[in-house]
Amino acid sequence: MSAKEIVVISGKGGTGKTSLSASFAYLEGKNTIVADCDVDAANMHLLLGADFEKQEDFYSGEVAFINEDCCINCGKCKEVCRFDAINVIDNQHRVDNISCEGCWYCSRVCPTGAIEMKTQKVGDLYVSNIKKESKMVHAKLGFGAENSGKLVAKVKTKAKEEAAKLNKRYIVTDGSPGVGCPVISSLSGANLVVLVTEATVSGLHDLKRVQKLLKTFSLKAVCIINKYDLNQKITDEIENYLKGEDIVVVAKLPYDETFTKALSEAKPIVEYDSDCDLAKSVKDSWKKIKNILGDV
Amino acid sequence: MKILFTAKGDSWDSLVDPRFGRAEMFVLYDEDKDELQTISNDEAKEKAHGVGLQSAKKVLEAGADVIITGNGAGEKALEILKKSDIKVYVGAGDMSLRDAYEASKKGELKVQF
Repeated sequence: MSAKEIVVISGKGGTGKTSLSASFAYLEGKNTIVADCDVDAANMHLLLGADFEKQEDFYSGEVAFINEDCCINCGKCKEVCRFDAINVIDNQHRVDNISCEGCWYCSRVCPTGAIEMKTQKVGDLYVSNIKKESKMVHAKLGFGAENSGKLVAKVKTKAKEEAAKLNKRYIVTDGSPGVGCPVISSLSGANLVVLVTEATVSGLHDLKRVQKLLKTFSLKAVCIINKYDLNQKITDEIENYLKGEDIVVVAKLPYDETFTKALSEAKPIVEYDSDCDLAKSVKDSWKKIKNILGDV
Repeated sequence: MKILFTAKGDSWDSLVDPRFGRAEMFVLYDEDKDELQTISNDEAKEKAHGVGLQSAKKVLEAGADVIITGNGAGEKALEILKKSDIKVYVGAGDMSLRDAYEASKKGELKVQF
């Protein structure tokens, strides 16, 4: 039986998505594989003590490369480049890899065929051992590189392979923020989505956007309202909205600085102080999630 | 009728790929000829962004009347697909192509739009 995938997303950043994903991973321990799809600001490996055991290169997109032996420095490439990625340095036309968007225009207009498009290494993919004898799949991007649906798909595929190989029951996926391509890619094949929101205007606004996306894909979701006591009025609004959408609230967590203290020691809250009220609520929400998946 | 599956493999026993844009491959079943045909999705998979639109184009070019998939197509791809008469069935994510086909015939799969 293949592992069940729980994808944690938030729409808005800073709601506690990663802290909670890491807590779920820590609670379930050996039974899980963790997939960190929040690659733009990957930090889950810090909480889970990843050891970067296995590495592979990740290639995505293309950049122009000028073969200087064939280049006659006619300047046509520089003229057509809309990203100002071609500069003349020491009387030679050169490509600035960070500005180049890989659009191929220069390569098409080059009269001597001196411009080749090369696939670019944009980052590294890792499979790491983490706390509680578990494993995680994560990635690190190079300077100027951005997360993409492709990279997320790669992280997820790798996590599924590992889960199948090691006979794991769950995949806990820390999804990407926002509602764009990487998020869509994070969501594919999810058995359950955990929406993490907070009691702020933007928390609610982004929750609605991300829920619209979930509806397109007919995905089942539950919600955790973090920092619910920041603004009771908005929490009420969130709960009303969720009721209308038929989404169960599995936890309402108060604003609590223990979260920050745990973070500064690079520990998930359930590891930092497993008996505090906050940790108890998180444990309880994980139990509810498993229940909804039909596993308890 | 031509039925297109987003698939992880090329036979009736292969599983449906729940993804649309980044599906491993497409498998087209021509009911009249009783024939399975594989359509590669390799170039889309290699793209960083915008694969949904690419796949929608492919599906329309293949002349499918029905799509059977898991999660369904994303918003942009749906917009394109809605302009044709194609029907998108979702919820076949964990099924084999055979089971998914039968489920669609029995009306057990949901229509995305």
